[in-house]
Amino acid sequence: MAPVSRRSVALATLWIVAGAAAPSAQLSPRNASYAMTARLEPQGRTITGDEILTWRNISHAPASALRFHLYYNAWRNTASTWMRERRLAGDATLPSRPQADWGWIDITSIRLIGAGGSPVDLTSRARFIAPDDGNADDRTVMEVPLDGAVAPGGTANIQIAWSSRVPRTFARTGAIGNFYFIGQWFPKIGVLEDTGWNCHQFHAATEFFSDFGTYDVRLTVPRGWIVGATGVERDRRDEADGTTTHHYVQDDVHDFVWTTSPDYLERHATFEHPSLPRVDMRLLLQPEHASQAERHFAATRAALKYYGEWFGPYPYGHITIVDPAWQSDARGMEYPTLFTAGSRWLAPGNVTTPEGVTIHEAGHQFWYGIVATNEFEHAWMDEGFNTFSTARVIEQTYTPNYYSKRYFGDFVPWVFRDFPLTRETDGDRLGPYRPLAKTDAQSTATWQYFPGTAAGITYDKTALWLNTLERMLGWDTVQRIMSTYFSRWAFKHPKPEDFFSIANEVSGRDLTWFFDQVYRSSNVFDYGVASFASEAAAQRGYVGEGNDRRFTEPGKTGSFHTTVVARRYGEGIFPVDIRVVFENNEETRWRWDGQERWKAFQIDKPVRAAFAQVDPDRVLLLDVNYTNNSAALEPQSPAAARKWSLVWLVWLQDHLLTYGFFV
Amino acid sequence: MGSFAAFREGIRRVNGAPLVVIGMFAVTLAVALPLSYILRSEIEAHLGSSLNAESAATGTNYDWWQEFSGQASGLASTFIPSITGFGAVLENLSNLLDNVKETRAIVAVTFFWLLLWSFLSGGVIDRFARARRTRSHGFFGACGMHVWRLLRLGLAALAVYAFLFGYVHFWIFTVGYPGWTQDLTIERSAFAVRLACYLGFGALLVLCSLVFDYARVRIVVEDRRSALGGLVAGARFAWRHRGGALGLYAVNAVAFLGLAAAYAAIAPGAPRSGWSTWPVLALGEAYILLRHYLKLAFYASETAFFQGALAHAAYTAAPPIVWPDSPAAESIGNVDPSRMV
Repeated sequence: MAPVSRRSVALATLWIVAGAAAPSAQLSPRNASYAMTARLEPQGRTITGDEILTWRNISHAPASALRFHLYYNAWRNTASTWMRERRLAGDATLPSRPQADWGWIDITSIRLIGAGGSPVDLTSRARFIAPDDGNADDRTVMEVPLDGAVAPGGTANIQIAWSSRVPRTFARTGAIGNFYFIGQWFPKIGVLEDTGWNCHQFHAATEFFSDFGTYDVRLTVPRGWIVGATGVERDRRDEADGTTTHHYVQDDVHDFVWTTSPDYLERHATFEHPSLPRVDMRLLLQPEHASQAERHFAATRAALKYYGEWFGPYPYGHITIVDPAWQSDARGMEYPTLFTAGSRWLAPGNVTTPEGVTIHEAGHQFWYGIVATNEFEHAWMDEGFNTFSTARVIEQTYTPNYYSKRYFGDFVPWVFRDFPLTRETDGDRLGPYRPLAKTDAQSTATWQYFPGTAAGITYDKTALWLNTLERMLGWDTVQRIMSTYFSRWAFKHPKPEDFFSIANEVSGRDLTWFFDQVYRSSNVFDYGVASFASEAAAQRGYVGEGNDRRFTEPGKTGSFHTTVVARRYGEGIFPVDIRVVFENNEETRWRWDGQERWKAFQIDKPVRAAFAQVDPDRVLLLDVNYTNNSAALEPQSPAAARKWSLVWLVWLQDHLLTYGFFV
Repeated sequence: MGSFAAFREGIRRVNGAPLVVIGMFAVTLAVALPLSYILRSEIEAHLGSSLNAESAATGTNYDWWQEFSGQASGLASTFIPSITGFGAVLENLSNLLDNVKETRAIVAVTFFWLLLWSFLSGGVIDRFARARRTRSHGFFGACGMHVWRLLRLGLAALAVYAFLFGYVHFWIFTVGYPGWTQDLTIERSAFAVRLACYLGFGALLVLCSLVFDYARVRIVVEDRRSALGGLVAGARFAWRHRGGALGLYAVNAVAFLGLAAAYAAIAPGAPRSGWSTWPVLALGEAYILLRHYLKLAFYASETAFFQGALAHAAYTAAPPIVWPDSPAAESIGNVDPSRMV
């Protein structure tokens, strides 16, 4: 293993003595701060790096060992847990990737730097562990036992040297051609909680979790290459060997990402708002998307504006938007103060590409960046909250937007202007949620979700239940819940119960029953009209008492007897309204607690009913079958079926004629 | 005869046979209608008495559509938003070029339609070759006379196209294209490669279809009984007149693209409700009718082009079909008048 240089030790000492960071208003605990240098060699696609980690134990438990994430080892071979899980999810292509695509990270040295600056070599003690699945071949978590435990409140200074081969992107990080997007790239300490280390292996369906700190990073890349990174560039120095070292610094973040390429176009703009801090926006754009710069800025502005107004201000003052290269597989990924968007060469207006992904990833600065939830275990707390918020911003900013489809190898877009997308149908993703509704309870740790289904439970279900909550409590209340949650848990690591208790507190209602349904169970909601009738009221049988009792035949009473039988087809329970609208447009509503499997509602009126609805205001967006929620006495289904089958007929005729090429 | 002249002559001959156009349109409609009726039943059953039907009847209801698609299988799974308006054309062309698998019901009906069209093409080409009315008995007589040889030719075509789509398409688009583009970081470049793949594969398709087209024409016009002989003759003709044949193919292709472009410009998308539904559907059917017209013009112009290359331009080998009298008429005719009472 390569020894750590004297210069590095001196730098480390200087970093520790200097207090790890330049002073600035402290927003977070800053208990995991890094000073790093990294050098990219494009010829071999390698990075050699050196980091000095200043880690403070902010838990109530002593730490007798340290645990580090080594994410790049997920792509070392097919035996990693990440690769096994992807295979389990049905991805058969990844294992056959060419030799040049694979990547890894090797630790060359680990030293504990004592108070006097004397280093203790821990390299030989390091071992790989697999706390989640016991996979002995997984090398994504490394444990380093210490001679003495780091007591609560105590600090450890660790110097680590490493080298890595940058993979051709398997997931979000890697290289293609001259495009490098380098995320999850350095040895990163886990999060110590009172119950022990929270340092999961790298899983196929989940993202990341780490503590806040200050990052002071020097990146050496070929001269002329443009660099984007977490934070702001403090200085830049041209080296004698034809490279340039870029120096980036950022306080109060929990990760550091960077990108470099000679091909980027660089654009700048600002976000200004009367009551929110100004933000400098830097866009690194692919040349073929040069005309889309303003679309990226406008979407980022929309996110900063609405998230800022609804939840809380973006505090960093700068943000970098990266438009990743075609086929880089780096689109749509969030990191503190930098995110990747993702566009297409042909990007028609009124379709939210690139806006949708830009708003979503910019929104992650709030749900993930600032409120730093555990993405291994509760990914819904950032992805779901953010999907809900993204859909809301799109509704405010980009209405109307339309369904579109790409043809001829997924290149040529066509916009279907008859199909406007709504927050419910598209933004909150009811369609993709339906088939996955039963797969797992949301309270299952995200990394343990059934393979290939995490998105349905993480993104879609959360957005749907938050929107259900909004329809139930009103946006004002939900906005107060979310902004209170945001302000209380900014720069911390909240857990699900923290959000639930704030929801109860702010709404003034005990919503436990709701969270039991949507979070702690995999129950599916489906209410419907089982039967509906409205007929002239008629009475037959004996009427009267004693000698006056006599048998009467049916006769017109002048009134109509209306009966609605509502049913609960799913296991999920939710209070719903039952509405009947009469032919004179009068209406009657009943409230049903939704507990029983069915309930009949009856009324006599001098007018016939026209239609009946269960949950007429569609409060329960999680209802997987809304078609059965209503019934009309004069249904329009024949007309609708006739119309659409004739539209389809034209398609089929055209299909036949297209194949007519062969005769 | 030049390409444009042949195209004009083809148009003239199709204009002279409006019943053929209407008849072929009716055949396609008749094949498609039963499936449309099945789909109609499925849509109606799914909507039931729901209020969703109202919004689906008066406009589009994407929410309901997603719900329907979520539970659809077989035929119903082809009922997707992108079949509306010009999307239908893009969907079909793209699926064909990208070799997207269709559902069994659609494959079956397409195969049946191709068989039916093969049967009828004998009568159609015969009609265009004669450039005069042949009446229904003449038309169907020609259909019957040529059907087996055209079906044998169809089997040869099936083998060739199966090879093209089963192997060549796989080599180009599943093996070649990903390999050629795997390191590209510019989408435009990848699209250019894709376009080149389409052009290369399309050229093979055009060459094969050119040979089969002229084989079909020679089988009918020259009353060739051997499909194989017709195929060789068709290939020989296409090769000897490659410039004109390719030019004519290009003119016909441009005519189709022109029609598609016009439809793209005016296709109204999804119909609304009431009477406004019918003009939208009528426009769709008008487009289908025009596609038939151009398809038949293709046949007619290739027939005219072939005949134009012969010493006697109006040559058609087969005599007019004379149907035998019915058995009853024949028996009456055979009766000895002296024995009649």
